[in-house]
Amino acid sequence: MTPSPAGAARPVPFRKILIANRGEIACRIIRTLREMGIASVSIHHAVEARARHVREADEAVEIAGETPVAAHLDIARIIEAARRTGADAIHPGYGFLSENARFARAVTEAGLVFIGPDADAIALMGDKISARQFAEEHGVPVAPSVMPTEDLPDFLKRAAGIGFPLLIKAAAGGGGKGMSIVRSAAELEGAARLASSEAQRYFGDGRVYAELFVERPRHIEVQVLGDGKGGAIHLFERECSVQRRFQKIIEEAPAANLSPALRDEICASAARLAAAAGYRNAGTVEYILGADGRFFFLEMNTRLQVEHPVTEMITGLDLVRLQIEIAAGHGLPMHQDEVTAHGHAIECRICAEDPARDFLPETGTVLHLDVPRAPHLRFENALDRGQRVTADFDPMLAKLVAHGPDRASATQRSIEALRELALLGVKTNVDYLARVLEHPAFAAGELHTGFVAEHRNALAAPELDRQTADRALIAAALGMREFHSLVFDVPEPHASIGPWRN
Amino acid sequence: MSRLQSAINTASADFRRNEAHNRRIVAEFRERQEAARHRRPQRDLERLDRQKKLTPRQRIELLLDPGTPFLELSSLAANMAYGGESPSASSIVGIGIVSGREVVVRADDPTVKGGAWYPLTAKKIVRALDIAMENRLPVIHLCDSAGGFLQLQSEVFPDRYMAGRIFRNQSILSKMGVKQLALVFGHCTAGGAYIPGLSDYSVIVRGTGAVFLGGPPLVKAATGEDVTVEELGGADMHTSVSGTCDYPADSEEHAIEIGREIVSQWDRLPRWDIQREAPEEPFYDPAEIYGIVPDDIKKSFEMREIIARVVDGSRFHEYQPAYGTTLVCGFANIWGYKVGILANNGVLFNDSSLKGAHFIELCNQNNTPLVFLQNITGYMVGREYERRGITKDGAKMIMAQSCSRVPKFTVMCNGSFGAGNYGMCGRAFDGRFLFSWPNHQIGVMGGDQAANTLAEVKANQMRRNGSAVDQAEIARLWEETRKAYQEQLSAYYATSELWDDGIIDPLDTRNALGMAISASLNAPLGPPGYGVFRF
Amino acid sequence: MPFKLAIDGKPHSLTILARRPQLVVAVDGRRHVVETVDAAGDGRRALTIDGAETGFVRAETVEGALLRIDGRTIEVRRLDAATEASAAGSGAHLVRAPMPGIVISIHKTAGDSVRRGETVITIESMKLQMKLDAPRDGEIAEIGIREGEGFEKDAVLARLAAPASEG
Repeated sequence: MTPSPAGAARPVPFRKILIANRGEIACRIIRTLREMGIASVSIHHAVEARARHVREADEAVEIAGETPVAAHLDIARIIEAARRTGADAIHPGYGFLSENARFARAVTEAGLVFIGPDADAIALMGDKISARQFAEEHGVPVAPSVMPTEDLPDFLKRAAGIGFPLLIKAAAGGGGKGMSIVRSAAELEGAARLASSEAQRYFGDGRVYAELFVERPRHIEVQVLGDGKGGAIHLFERECSVQRRFQKIIEEAPAANLSPALRDEICASAARLAAAAGYRNAGTVEYILGADGRFFFLEMNTRLQVEHPVTEMITGLDLVRLQIEIAAGHGLPMHQDEVTAHGHAIECRICAEDPARDFLPETGTVLHLDVPRAPHLRFENALDRGQRVTADFDPMLAKLVAHGPDRASATQRSIEALRELALLGVKTNVDYLARVLEHPAFAAGELHTGFVAEHRNALAAPELDRQTADRALIAAALGMREFHSLVFDVPEPHASIGPWRN
Repeated sequence: MSRLQSAINTASADFRRNEAHNRRIVAEFRERQEAARHRRPQRDLERLDRQKKLTPRQRIELLLDPGTPFLELSSLAANMAYGGESPSASSIVGIGIVSGREVVVRADDPTVKGGAWYPLTAKKIVRALDIAMENRLPVIHLCDSAGGFLQLQSEVFPDRYMAGRIFRNQSILSKMGVKQLALVFGHCTAGGAYIPGLSDYSVIVRGTGAVFLGGPPLVKAATGEDVTVEELGGADMHTSVSGTCDYPADSEEHAIEIGREIVSQWDRLPRWDIQREAPEEPFYDPAEIYGIVPDDIKKSFEMREIIARVVDGSRFHEYQPAYGTTLVCGFANIWGYKVGILANNGVLFNDSSLKGAHFIELCNQNNTPLVFLQNITGYMVGREYERRGITKDGAKMIMAQSCSRVPKFTVMCNGSFGAGNYGMCGRAFDGRFLFSWPNHQIGVMGGDQAANTLAEVKANQMRRNGSAVDQAEIARLWEETRKAYQEQLSAYYATSELWDDGIIDPLDTRNALGMAISASLNAPLGPPGYGVFRF
Repeated sequence: MPFKLAIDGKPHSLTILARRPQLVVAVDGRRHVVETVDAAGDGRRALTIDGAETGFVRAETVEGALLRIDGRTIEVRRLDAATEASAAGSGAHLVRAPMPGIVISIHKTAGDSVRRGETVITIESMKLQMKLDAPRDGEIAEIGIREGEGFEKDAVLARLAAPASEG
């Protein structure tokens, strides 16, 4: 099939699509469905019966569940809901059942269309070992490693062959036991023996494992689209190196300071992998990129990513629309050389958490939400004033995405939007995100996954200066009934006479 | 309304001499006031501190809305009594703003003799409650008093206007619907116990506040019962068992906070609709008053110059400018409020008396409050004036003034002698407020005149008895009379005895009158009408 | 009475120095001229403080207010005299029975520290269960009754220790 030109609408056979998700992503999908003239069905647990994704959908179905999360993972009930409402297809969003091969299969078996890859692709990429092997077989670099063994001399020989630094750990391990970083051949044997004996002692399994240790690694990922018939294109890369608690908090596209050659190499390898897998629909290939320019396959996410808007903003494409079109059998929307990128986009994940307390989740009630608006901004959320923010779901509340002609302006626009954004009633990382963006190392593009830890002190909230504190106190007081009456209820002439004493 | 034209030359020798003189007088007044307000024996202050108690003035400052005025009344009451042992008569009274409402604040002063009530304390409290009644102002009592000063019980206890009157006034106030709140910080013993008892609302501080008819020593003496202050009349007992007090508080600040919240529940009754303009500062500098009032009470001065430094924009509409010129009458605004001013510019003659009576009637007809600026040596005496009926003309002015339905305010700007005091709304005539400048003197006549009069009487007596006039004896009598008069003529003596509502710095006149007029608007105007005028 | 607020547990005192011609507020003694004072209420607001226009967003909470100002979110809490007095150890020492009844459960023992409003004893009276709270912050000096026991109105069921400073 000849790909149609970018942006041109291609008719699809779906009249109604059920969204097996909630929150901002459900709302975002509903938005595209509406544009495409497709009816939407939301699902929800009883606790979120009045949530925005429920209100905005054309129809909503309550799914019973012991916990709200359990409801969103209940394959049988969700498919039943789709059947009952007459939906033609199911969009899984991200998280929940989006990478569940069993779900994808069940959807298909129910005679519905699963908007995503087929179950086999999900299964292939869902298993870390098989995915890694598959990548390696198709010329996508993987981090060199020595597979678990008890044969120490063999281990040492092969490990030395990889080069340094090396990460050595117990095969059965966890919790850092027996883990060490080896920077030279001289240290190798001692470290391996120690790791092995500790592994034996703690886990009763003396096998050790070694892998090339990438120092100051960057997290680079590539958005791909496959037609399921061996055709695949990429929509450029995203950088997601700024992370805390092993989760991304700031993503951007394109990656900073990436040479065009390296960019092309990484992106091409991702498209190659998708094509080789006969991958259908949107997916993301994740890489680790070392300071030396070497990059290694990490994993492939067989779904829409949280951070997909940054790709949308630089390419001008609607990924959800493309997903639906591909699911409808339209194939790829364009040739690789028709995909163009403009400017720079940054996404900040706004989470209910306290950066001062190791990013522990916070709860509360949304008392006020005031969102900056501009053509270059997207604020993806499903928040309502008065909404309780509980521990029932992920602490991510919203995403603020800003576009600019270059990285510096996208950064500046993000900072301004974060400063202007008012989300009151639950503690969030909004100010923390602004401090990250303001940090000179961020501006310089000196990113790696240890960024948050490395700059911990510099990123801590500064002392509140007296001027701001005074202004805040005055502004707060004037909003309080008692202080307001103290100011305004004094009669004349007393208010004019002022604090006179005779 | 046009501005008054001032003819004052601030560079003149007279102006400078007067100014130096009056600044000295005001400095002395401020010094006496400072002593009465703040100078206390160290041990009394330390005791208060040990008890974690605030001084009454600190309590008042916390009670008032911040940034609002407080018109303290009679700050020098009792300053010439009891050897100075009862500064401000051991009680602070004033008008201020609490939770946006105009109220009378009355505080016992535990820094002197445990807050015991002297005779003049009772007089001052009675006056405070009279003000509350006349102007329908709610009252907040800050209670901390050991009770009546027993050594002077005959002057505190039995008579009509002594301590009992306080409780009578409290009862009548409540009947009138004028609210009272008692904040009990310390002891309310004996009669003092009725202050919270008769207040509509009361708050009592745990630990330090106590209310009882007889304290533990009295109970021990009377019945042999051993009982602690807490058990006998503490906060928890009164708020949970006896119901004598309404709210327990955990600290003085807490009590004040509860009190402020109580006041914020009170209704705001309508004030009568006085004519009002946007306020305007006087065009002429009020500080020039110091250079205008002469350094000798016998020297006269132009009252319009004073008016120009008290009223809004120095604007004055003069009534009958060419008739009865020794009494200046006219309309002006003070803090925006329309008032009718009567000011002495010399002795009162027949025509000035008739003019005054007529102007008072005009103000009553126009619902315009009256402001009297006194500097009066009396009504004119002598055969000619008696034949013209100076007495009956003066009587007309007194009749019109006494029967006025509009509120009246008097400022003693200088002398107040003889019957002129009556016509110009002296203390006996129920003006809402009466303030004195520190240079003020008051008496039936001046010291010299009294001495002359008595010396003349004595000499006549000697002549009648056929003896020679003993010039030395006459001179001694003259000097003695003058000295005694002089002391009692002074503003300090007058204010000590509560013949006024306090001495004020002349520069404070506009604010004091502004707050006084504002207070007066809370009470509806009385019915119109006069007695029989003698024509 | 000054208006007391706290940010991050640090107390601040606000008082009004003047209302005309402009509002002048002192924060911990620092003087600020406040203009264009708009109505109370939540949402995006603006004030001119010391000549500089300050935009902010405000939301009232149970304890005070949340402010978004100068690119920061600040939580402001109200302090009242009762809280301060309670923290300073003054206040009632006794937990009394408001009506006759029996003790259902005792939640604290002598020596326990309690916060104002924390339940000390649950009683039942007239078929109604009722929690009796600590009248202030402090330490339980004595529980004067056992579970299942009955009592008369006004009986002292528990007593708080006197603050150390008053020894």
